Amino acid sequence: MTARQLLRLLAVWLGVLFVCVVAISYSVRVDRALPPSGLYLVSVWERGTRTARSVVASAPKEVLVDQSARRGAQRIIEQLVDSAPIMGGSWLLLGLSVVPARDGVSVSYRGRTAYATPEDLRKLEAYEFSFVLGPLNLVLGIDVNKVLGALAQELGSEPRELLQHGSFRRFAVASDADYPRKIGEADVTRDSIEDSVRSAARYLARNQRRDGSFRYELNAVTGADSPDYNFPRHSGATYFLARAGNQLHDPQLARAGQRAGSFLKDRVTLRCGEHACIGEGDQVDIGSSALALLAYVELLAGGNEEFRAPALELAAFLRSQQRPDGEFKHFYSIAERRALDIQVEYYAGEAAFALSRVHRVSGDAKDLRAASHALSFLVTRSRWFLGSHYFWGAEHWTCQALADLWQRAPDRSALEFCLDWQAVNRNLQFQSPPAPAEYDGGITRGPFVPPRLTPTAARLEAAVATLEVARAAGVSPSELELIDHQIKRSFAFLMRYQFSPGPTHLMPKPRLLEGGFPGSALDLHVRIDYPQHAGGALLRYWELQPK
Amino acid sequence: MRVTFGVLNVLAALVLLVGLFVVQPRFWALDAPLSVIALVELISAVGLLAKLPWALRALTVSAWVTFVLGLLVVSLIIITMGFLRGIHGDFGTAALAVSGLIVALLVPYTVVLPGLQLLWLKRQPAEPRP
Repeated sequence: MTARQLLRLLAVWLGVLFVCVVAISYSVRVDRALPPSGLYLVSVWERGTRTARSVVASAPKEVLVDQSARRGAQRIIEQLVDSAPIMGGSWLLLGLSVVPARDGVSVSYRGRTAYATPEDLRKLEAYEFSFVLGPLNLVLGIDVNKVLGALAQELGSEPRELLQHGSFRRFAVASDADYPRKIGEADVTRDSIEDSVRSAARYLARNQRRDGSFRYELNAVTGADSPDYNFPRHSGATYFLARAGNQLHDPQLARAGQRAGSFLKDRVTLRCGEHACIGEGDQVDIGSSALALLAYVELLAGGNEEFRAPALELAAFLRSQQRPDGEFKHFYSIAERRALDIQVEYYAGEAAFALSRVHRVSGDAKDLRAASHALSFLVTRSRWFLGSHYFWGAEHWTCQALADLWQRAPDRSALEFCLDWQAVNRNLQFQSPPAPAEYDGGITRGPFVPPRLTPTAARLEAAVATLEVARAAGVSPSELELIDHQIKRSFAFLMRYQFSPGPTHLMPKPRLLEGGFPGSALDLHVRIDYPQHAGGALLRYWELQPK
Repeated sequence: MRVTFGVLNVLAALVLLVGLFVVQPRFWALDAPLSVIALVELISAVGLLAKLPWALRALTVSAWVTFVLGLLVVSLIIITMGFLRGIHGDFGTAALAVSGLIVALLVPYTVVLPGLQLLWLKRQPAEPRP
């Protein structure tokens, strides 16, 4: 082949490729910026179930009037903005062609059309589906089987038949449902933060059982509670409740915190050798004990003296797990009566923070030394590994330990570490535009999936702690402004999705969910750590605001 | 040039084989074409380095197989990028940069190297028939 022939071949290839890419890209494109002008999909929802649907070209408020007038019924109107065909009769292409939390799917079959709107898909829990294809772990926009099942049922057909012979489209809608709320950075005020914190704490108090434990994970769209439980998360929720009770001077929250603390103290406190520890079974982790210790210190601050001795015992257990280099052995084998030198994310930061907090009530220099040593270990980065500036985890307790220790044992390296991490988090923040307005401020987990609330909230706890120290340490006003702006945008994102009251039309038991923070725009489950992290971060920021 | 192309083909085949046998789990749709490319590259490398009489013919086959499959893979990646951009709209520069980086890493091995080999082969006198 001559050079001319090779260049000609490459030019033809590039030309064909360009045409293919443009044609495919435009044929599947949906323009969400268009003014809504399509059909209206009018739905009536009662106790979380869609009981009526009408598709009309105009006057949507004049249909399903009787049904929507029934007690507890809600009418939701979604108007088509734009739509595009879904290519081929392929299961995989159908799954890849829908944007989770934003698109609906319609199918025309034998002259009839059925619609699965974004509200329907949320209710079906049909957005996002993990799928393994060889070495690839793909996340499809929808659970194709669920969507096909629902559409086939609507059209009186079979899913396979529909996939082979139906004509599918995806569509964008403008909805009159007031969820997510339209909240921007300017709406993040001291009062709105206080409301949000109180509401999140009351969610936990409302979902507390008599023994002090919580409904662990509530599914908003079914009202069902998960049978699972997790002691670090129980401890974290207790810590938040106790803090909220103390800071907001709310006796109901304080009592709930005390009940949750008593659950830890009386029901799940074990002996780990000569020390007390929190957990169950033959092996415990230090995370449960560290978070329980944080909770006990808050409960003590609220005047619950019965938590003093257990707090000091847990502090002794944590210190006994610390290695000479400052790291901790994260597990303890009760059966073998020995610490296990195994590490996982979060626990070392939790232990550092808890030991710092308990020093305030113990006055024991050993607690302060252990906390300070652990913090120093956590923020040490090898100068020989350039990647240490680019690879970051989601560990968010270290910077809270930094803030708590700052007055007693200031650590400049730790401040630098936390400032660097916040700079990385700013890069991971969705920015609208080009991102959808409702995701602005959220921490991305990839360009094709909606951000989750809790990773954003947990990073916010660290961000606010970093801001607090940065102010005290005299960091430049421009950097303080950057962090503050980043924090407010993230809070706006969280508050947009808080159930205040949330998409109540999808919920069989909306009262139970009030104040909760869901997993994401499409994961409407509330696990106990979701309000804990979001509420905890908000409360930290509220404490920094001038009255 | 024979030695240079021989060494480069060994390196390219090793890169592919490491990818093939180290990265788990196995996936036939990638394993089959990668195995074919690695095999023909190794055969042609042996021929070139040992100065065997069929070396140029083997290099021709290796270059064409790599070139065609390489263009196919790059095309699929770019078409996928176009499809995802159509579906998700402007999904940000990071995703575009990552996809672009993958293409940029593939092009030297799968398009440029075999392209240069094909150009060089054109200038070589025909091998004597056995």
